[in-house]
Amino acid sequence: MTYQATNLAGQAASPERGLVVLMAMAGLALAGLVALDTGARGVALLALGGVLGAVFLGFQYGFASAWRRFLVAGEAIGLAAHFLLIGLCALVFLTAPSLGLAAAGSVAPVSVSLVIGAFIFGIGMQLANGCGSGVLFSFGGGSGRMMVALPFFVFGSLLGSFLLPAALEWGSLGQVPIAVAGNAVATTGINLALIALAGGGFFWLARRRGEMMPRRLIAGTVIIAVLCWLVFALSGHPWGVTFGFTLWGAKIASALGVTVENFAFWQWPGPRRALEHSVLADVSSLMDFGMVLGAGIMAAVSGGLRRQDWPPVRQLAGAALGGVLMGIGARLGFGCNIGAFLAGIASGSLHGWIWFAMAMAGSWVGIRTRPSFGLAV
Amino acid sequence: MARITPKFVYLIVLLAGLGLAAGDHLTSRSMAGLGAPSDLGNACAPCGAPCTE
Repeated sequence: MTYQATNLAGQAASPERGLVVLMAMAGLALAGLVALDTGARGVALLALGGVLGAVFLGFQYGFASAWRRFLVAGEAIGLAAHFLLIGLCALVFLTAPSLGLAAAGSVAPVSVSLVIGAFIFGIGMQLANGCGSGVLFSFGGGSGRMMVALPFFVFGSLLGSFLLPAALEWGSLGQVPIAVAGNAVATTGINLALIALAGGGFFWLARRRGEMMPRRLIAGTVIIAVLCWLVFALSGHPWGVTFGFTLWGAKIASALGVTVENFAFWQWPGPRRALEHSVLADVSSLMDFGMVLGAGIMAAVSGGLRRQDWPPVRQLAGAALGGVLMGIGARLGFGCNIGAFLAGIASGSLHGWIWFAMAMAGSWVGIRTRPSFGLAV
Repeated sequence: MARITPKFVYLIVLLAGLGLAAGDHLTSRSMAGLGAPSDLGNACAPCGAPCTE
C-alpha cells in the first residue's frame, strides 16, 4: 500500500480533458443501457464501482505491496489497515438481519481447492504487482503492466472455472462459519474479537518498528468500508471482483466457438444464469466496468494516463504469468483479496482466514520469484 | 512496443471492451434485475462457490 498518491497528488494536476469527456460519455452510455434493463439499482452499482475505482487509484490502496513490505521488511501497518477495513465491513455484514438488510455474507467451503487456490493466487499477485482490485484499478489508470496482466487474469480464471468442479472432489469440509452460537450478538462479538486480535497484533508489530498509520491510509480505509457497506446493502452480498473476469473469459470463449456451457461450472445455476444473460446483468462484472471507468476518469483528470510507460519485457512476462496464476487461484480459492480475504473474514467464514494464511505463504514464494522477472524483492 | 504508447493501447482496449459489453448486452436476453451466482441455489458466495456440506 502506497501512502501517498504518487501520480495523482503532489504534482500539478494537468487534466486530459478530451479523455475525461470520452470516458464520462462511455460511462453514461453504459449507465443508460443498464438503466433500461436493471433500473436504478444497476446504475447505482455501476456508479459505486466507479467511485471504488477512483478511490482505490486516488489512495493507491492495494494489498500486494503491503503484504510484500510485511514479508520483506516486517512493515505491518498496511496489514493493520486491511484488518481495520475488514472489521468495519464485519460490523455490517454480520449484523445484516438486525439492520433490516436482505443481504448475506460470503461463506465458501473449506476445501483442498481453497488451500491450493489461495496459495497460487498469492504467488501471482506478487508477480503481477497487484491483486484482483489492484489489476483492475491500475488497468483503469492506464498501467501498461496491467494491460498485460488483466487479459491473462481473465484467461486464467476461465481455466480455473473448468478446473474447480474436479478440484472440489479433492476434499472439502463444507462451509465453516466461525462461532455458530445461535446468537447473533455472540457470533458478531467473537468474529470482531478475532479480527481485532489480528489487526491489533499487526498494529502492535508496526508500532514496535515505529510505524504510524497515516491519516491518508485511515481515510482511504474508512471510505472504502463505507462503499463496501453500500455495495452489500444494494447488491445483497459482499463486493466481489473476479467472477466478472471469469464471465468475460467465458463470453469471449463462447464467441470463439468454445462450448463453455458444457463445462460443469457453467451448468451450476448461478454461473449458467450469468452466461446466458448480459455482462451488465451480473453484479461483479457490472462493478468491474464501473471500476475501470472510475479509475480511468480519475487518471485522466490528474493527467496520469500520459505519464504511463511500458515496463521491461521480463516484467510484462511476470505480469502475464501472475495474471494466469491469479485467475486460476481466484476460482479454486473462491475469490481474491476482496471476495475471499475481505468478504470471507468479514462474513465470519473460516475460509477467509485460511485464504489469508495461504495467500500470504504464496506471496512469500512469489516474492522470491520476482527477481527472475526483473522485479525488485 | 516503444512506438505504441500504453495510452494508445489503453484507449483501444477500453473502447473495444466497452463496445463488446454493449454488444453483448444488446444481444443477450433481457432481464428485469441484476443477479449474482449467490442469488440462486448451489452458490454461497458471489464468486459462484458451491454450497457443500
